[in-house]
Amino acid sequence: MTNWLHGAWAVFSKDLRLELRSRYAINMLLMFVLASILLVLFAVGSEDISPQAEAGLLWIVILFSAAVGLGRAFIAEEERGTVLLLQLNTRGSMVYAGKLLFNFLLVLGVNLVSLGVFLVLLSVEVALPGLLLLTLLLGALGLSGATTLLAAIIARAAGRGPLLPVLLFPLLVPLLLSVVHATQNSFAGAVPGSDGWTASLNDLLALTGFAGVVITASVLLFDYVWND
Amino acid sequence: MEAKTPSAAVNVPLYRKIRLAVVVWMTVVVLAAFSFGGLWLNIPRINMLEHTARNLYFHVPMWFTMMAIAIVSAYHSFRYLQNGHVIRDVRARAAALLAVVFGILGLVTGSVWAHYTWYEGTNIWWNFDPKQSMAAIQVLIYGAYFVLRSALDDPEKRARIAAVYNLFAFVTVPFLLYVLPRQQDSLHPGAEGNPAFSDITHPIMRFVFYPAIIGFIGVFWLLYTQRVRAAQIQQRLDALDEPEL
Repeated sequence: MTNWLHGAWAVFSKDLRLELRSRYAINMLLMFVLASILLVLFAVGSEDISPQAEAGLLWIVILFSAAVGLGRAFIAEEERGTVLLLQLNTRGSMVYAGKLLFNFLLVLGVNLVSLGVFLVLLSVEVALPGLLLLTLLLGALGLSGATTLLAAIIARAAGRGPLLPVLLFPLLVPLLLSVVHATQNSFAGAVPGSDGWTASLNDLLALTGFAGVVITASVLLFDYVWND
Repeated sequence: MEAKTPSAAVNVPLYRKIRLAVVVWMTVVVLAAFSFGGLWLNIPRINMLEHTARNLYFHVPMWFTMMAIAIVSAYHSFRYLQNGHVIRDVRARAAALLAVVFGILGLVTGSVWAHYTWYEGTNIWWNFDPKQSMAAIQVLIYGAYFVLRSALDDPEKRARIAAVYNLFAFVTVPFLLYVLPRQQDSLHPGAEGNPAFSDITHPIMRFVFYPAIIGFIGVFWLLYTQRVRAAQIQQRLDALDEPEL
């Protein structure tokens, strides 16, 4: 077990070190988020939009940035020709765990940055910050869990880049519906009949379950993608 | 590869008998579904539904069949990952294609039906009903499955990775069943606040409805086995074309 943790950590710290050296993914994601939020801003104008539309726009930006940025995880290994090395030295589950952790932190960072920019630029008021943070955390977990396996899948395919959103978005509909609903409740505070937390309980449960199921399924399926 | 595949021999006389049975069965079902004469086949008129209620015999069994196909496809993908037999991949792919066909048929029949009953007087063709959304997402998933297949060149790798995607998508679908009805209102029978299917359907309709389900699953079985056999023959032809080294 310690061996396994050590291996997974080694994969993670390798990715982190490479990323800090080039800062490609971080810079690209930041610019992507900023640019798309600015686009949203120009499109919306000074219009006063409903909490549902705000939550929807925020998560659309996050999902697209994830679809653009997270595909790199395994494509980079193929490009550098380091796949064989990893296959020989580590077990598949270690690679998956390391990449998952890296992607999770990346998505979480993107979530927080885009949320901050979004809140300031669209001057959204948050009634329940705790609920919003929990939603972001669970959303990031489910999103990175689903994307990591699919990133490994598309690294095997010929077309690569544009393939990830096609494969990813149909699977993310349950996640999107839940996070948008919970985010909307956290913006609005109380909904008629109950407070925001009670109204979001179902969504938080669904998000937890979604993250658990996609990560479990990924761990079980990853070896079939990873090993030739 | 051919040696690894379990025997693909088909019991042709039995196959023909089942095919004939399905054809006769479906003919009777369709005749019964559209029959106006006779008291016992004249369906009870419900306000607004009137004769469109006959769509029950087509629209609903198409859904049941699609669900069954999704399970068949995921099962064969699972078996493929277990033992790597080519036939499993052929079956999973044939089932996925039919799931798209039945899914689109179900969406169209449902959309037309709803336009002239639930949304009568409005100009709505598509309203996000949970069951409708779920079907649309299922069709999208199988669409993505075929896009992924076309992006992979090596047959063995294609089969393996497509099977992984098929299974991965299959485990996320039940969440739709949980999330969607809590966020969108449904007009379908059995949804929250609506009477269940058994309360609003006259017993006489069930004499056609249940056989229709069996009939549509039979149609699926015919198309499915035919596609699988065609794919097998195609594989054998391809193998003949390859020069022996």
